[in-house]
Amino acid sequence: MNNVWGSMAQYDVINWPWPIAVYLFLAGASAGSIIIALLVKWNRHDKEVATIWDAMVKAGALISPLTIIIGLILLILDLGKPLSFYWLLISYNFESVMTLGVIALFLYTPLSLVFTALIFEDVIKKNALLSMLYPVVSYIKSYSKYAKKIEYVLFFLALIVGAYTGFLLSANMSIPMWNSPILPILFLASGISAGIAGNILVGMLFFKSSINKESIKYLLMLDLRVIMLEIPLLLLLFVGMFYAGGAAKVSAIQALSVGNWALVFWVGVIAVGLVSPVVIALTALKNHDYKVKFILFNSVVVLIGVILLRFYIVYAGQIFTGAL
Amino acid sequence: MKKKFRMIHDENLCIGCQACSVACRSENDVPDNVFRMQVQIETKGVFPDLKMDMQRHSCVMCEDAPCVTVCPTGASFQTKDGLVQIDHRLCVSCKYCVVACPYDARFMNPITKNIEKCTFCYSNRVSKGLEPACVTVCPTDALVFGDISDMTSEVYKKAKECNLLYPKANLGTKPKVAFVPNKKGVSYE
Repeated sequence: MNNVWGSMAQYDVINWPWPIAVYLFLAGASAGSIIIALLVKWNRHDKEVATIWDAMVKAGALISPLTIIIGLILLILDLGKPLSFYWLLISYNFESVMTLGVIALFLYTPLSLVFTALIFEDVIKKNALLSMLYPVVSYIKSYSKYAKKIEYVLFFLALIVGAYTGFLLSANMSIPMWNSPILPILFLASGISAGIAGNILVGMLFFKSSINKESIKYLLMLDLRVIMLEIPLLLLLFVGMFYAGGAAKVSAIQALSVGNWALVFWVGVIAVGLVSPVVIALTALKNHDYKVKFILFNSVVVLIGVILLRFYIVYAGQIFTGAL
Repeated sequence: MKKKFRMIHDENLCIGCQACSVACRSENDVPDNVFRMQVQIETKGVFPDLKMDMQRHSCVMCEDAPCVTVCPTGASFQTKDGLVQIDHRLCVSCKYCVVACPYDARFMNPITKNIEKCTFCYSNRVSKGLEPACVTVCPTDALVFGDISDMTSEVYKKAKECNLLYPKANLGTKPKVAFVPNKKGVSYE
């Protein structure tokens, strides 16, 4: 049947499609991986090992700039007018979460690259191509007395980058699933979880020689705690929507029960991403066993869960607005 | 003096002819399949006890506009009269405003890739002392537009004699488009 008034097509558009979901994941993973690298560097790093950094520090230093840069490229390509993106850098609106995010990223991204350059100083020195950059690295190194302070700044910026993506969504009053104060803390927590998983995965695959079993065990324990925190946060998100009533209640019920996105949530986010790591931790990795295969498997399921959580929130939020 | 613009859509007078929607397309060069405004018609009830509600669907020009708050570049802004407009030069089409708008009023122009919406025909008509295109063509005068602080204006008189409602008033966005709810047909209250 034709509508008398024309087309409804423009109201069904997913305005923020998959590149945004992937960006939200990458930004969280980037922030999480550097938070973890810094924690390991500060608390777990054996000072007597003079030669080489812990694999977790190296993995974080590698993942953090890489993921955020790929994420930012995706963000720019998703703009309707990608070539005009520079306006984001020169025209600010300090009421907008996006502007605040741009500023944080503008500081965070170069700083994370500096961190990488310092961790991989030797690699840069020896590599034929990268050695061209060595003067820059040594110039940065001349400020090494400020290193610790800059690491604190980087840590703080990583917390902002990890949480702001949640605020970015929660500033939308039109979408009940996003318009929740739970989202920033949920995104930060799951970003840290992804950071742990990513660091362990990259560390075990590429930096075997500098693996420190103790710091891996420490991180696995930390991850278990973060996951135990994510479960009640997700519960709070939906309980909050449910008791808000009206459109939010409708939205919560639909998002948890209708179609493929409900499936993504229950199977992907809950079963694979949250329950299976807990099960692995309580069975295969019990008594702090160091079983490489299970640790790698654990990292993969955690990462899948975190990616699917972002996809679920982005898509189900826009589809199930509880309208009508 | 600062004007307090109001647009009133009287759903009792509206016949759903879509002349407003067509006038908007031709005045503002709106591409196919997207709309700055349309009147959506909803049939309610079970035959023969039916009623048809005609609801204007467009930007409502919020006083506290979420789209202006979220816009990262300031491309979404308000004129001194509080009308929400878009500066296409600053707009990068991040679609944050499209997502943030509780009235589903914004869309991306498929040709220019700019974000567009109803502007009250501000730059092309209202700033020149004319009425918006949709108001001028309405055959039943279901649409009334003007400065509500001017006691001689049509919109002031209309507001005096009718009980105005504001769409999604509970959100606290303070719209400048009001409606007079439909009383024709079967009542389900």
